[in-house]
Amino acid sequence: MNIFLREVKGNVRSLLIWGVIVLLFVTVGFAKFSAYEGNPELLAILDEFPPAMMEAFNFKAFNLTTITGFYGVMFSYFALTLSIAAAMWGSDIISKEERDKTVEFSLTLPVRREKMVTAKTLAVMVNCIGLLLITWVAIVYNAATYSPDAAFYEFVALGMVAIFIMQMIFLAVGVLIGCALKEYRRAGSLAVSVLLGTYFISIISSMVESLSFLKYFSPFTYFNPATLLRDSQIDLGYVGLSAAIIAVAMIGAYVTYSKRDLYI
Amino acid sequence: MSIIEVNKLTKYYGKARGIVDVSFKVEEGEIFGFIGPNGAGKSTTIRLFLSLIYPTSGDSKIFGQDAIQHGPELRQQIGYLPSEVFYYERMKVLELLKYSASFYDRDCTQRMYELADIMELDLKRRIDDLSYGNKKKVGIVQGLLHQPKLIVLDEPTAGLDPLMQRNFFQLIREENERGATVFFSSHILGEVQRMCNRVAIIKEGSVIRIEDIKTMQKDNYKKIRVMGNGLETSRFEADGVTNMIQENGAVTFFYKGDINVVTKMISAQELADVTIEEPTLEEIFMHYYE
Repeated sequence: MNIFLREVKGNVRSLLIWGVIVLLFVTVGFAKFSAYEGNPELLAILDEFPPAMMEAFNFKAFNLTTITGFYGVMFSYFALTLSIAAAMWGSDIISKEERDKTVEFSLTLPVRREKMVTAKTLAVMVNCIGLLLITWVAIVYNAATYSPDAAFYEFVALGMVAIFIMQMIFLAVGVLIGCALKEYRRAGSLAVSVLLGTYFISIISSMVESLSFLKYFSPFTYFNPATLLRDSQIDLGYVGLSAAIIAVAMIGAYVTYSKRDLYI
Repeated sequence: MSIIEVNKLTKYYGKARGIVDVSFKVEEGEIFGFIGPNGAGKSTTIRLFLSLIYPTSGDSKIFGQDAIQHGPELRQQIGYLPSEVFYYERMKVLELLKYSASFYDRDCTQRMYELADIMELDLKRRIDDLSYGNKKKVGIVQGLLHQPKLIVLDEPTAGLDPLMQRNFFQLIREENERGATVFFSSHILGEVQRMCNRVAIIKEGSVIRIEDIKTMQKDNYKKIRVMGNGLETSRFEADGVTNMIQENGAVTFFYKGDINVVTKMISAQELADVTIEEPTLEEIFMHYYE
């Protein structure tokens, strides 16, 4: 509990910075939407786009001139931003002890390395949930101007659950990288590289028919906003797959961290 | 039961040598010195029995239990002061010490304040703002606040001013009298000789000698340098004189034996200057442990 509380406290600053970034992002996004709203010219422009690109950016499934459609398109970017934060926090919370050389203090205390990993992961989870709530509130607050219906709010809520699952996947992957890599300098950049890699996989798999099997390798494809809107529920198969990825990553993190030499 | 029992401990970092086949035992109530030049493997040995790193082969036991398997439980009774202390930024000294204390299964508050008082440590300051020496004081208080049965010190005096060094040695002696066993790693022969009962000497990753400090003091070599006109090495030939060098009108040699013999020998000469000093550890290694 002491490690958890200390880490939560130590993370507040980073949460605030990311919170401001997300607030700006959402506010600027909605400011743009004010120009799209009910604008038939925009639809005409979008019709000129190549179909594959429309597919990749979800323009096909959503009508960008409605608030629901706009959120549907923006969803991927919210997911990407919040996942990047999760991956960076996850890798950093482990690797920073070696970077700052505090590991010779923290791990000569009577504590198991596994317990340390658990407490730190939970502390980052708090940060992830905090950032998710900030995003959620910002969206709902900005959308209120356009007096959306109840279905919109339900769609937003569903999207937030989906983003939460993605955050947890990338948090676990980040923690795994922080735990497994002795070269602490590379942990953060590797975590973000893996994330961006899977993001591009998600784009390619939706653009190129023959590569659509790749979608299983990218958490960004697990919860397609168009499907979320249509079915009003989250695909439980992908929830299971996500849980499996998280479990494997965390087990990997525990095993590698407790077996490896600490970098001092 | 030995407090520390290190058995054929070997550590390679990739191909680079850490330590090779290091074995020794530290008995209860001892102040055990561990001495060697920088890079000899002192910190590696300590990090191995604190299970911060894992051995290539061999094992170590603390309080009779395997250091890796029972590491977290064993560390309830170990106080460790690393050669350089690093703590979390943006924390006040008191916060850090309370955080550290929260890991132990006993109340450390009173002892924490006592130690801070002895080391003249300002608890209200932020760790980031502290000088190297003051951080070291935090390290001392943090390492001792749970009244450990085993105290592990790695180059503890670096960064402490002489007055604080004295307080610190006094503190360690008191802890030892209270019953704590002390493992004292250093490259400064003098402080090890003052503090320790037994000493292990490590060189290039191997322990080359373990002996009683009293025996070592009998082996007390002096490094003598005399200056004067027309001095010749032949005038200082005697039992116990070794490594004699003559250069620029000065004669330098090592001497081991009855100090009166050598002072008589020196006083018989017309001298411009004389120095008699302890050889440095490196010199001892070079000349006597080859």
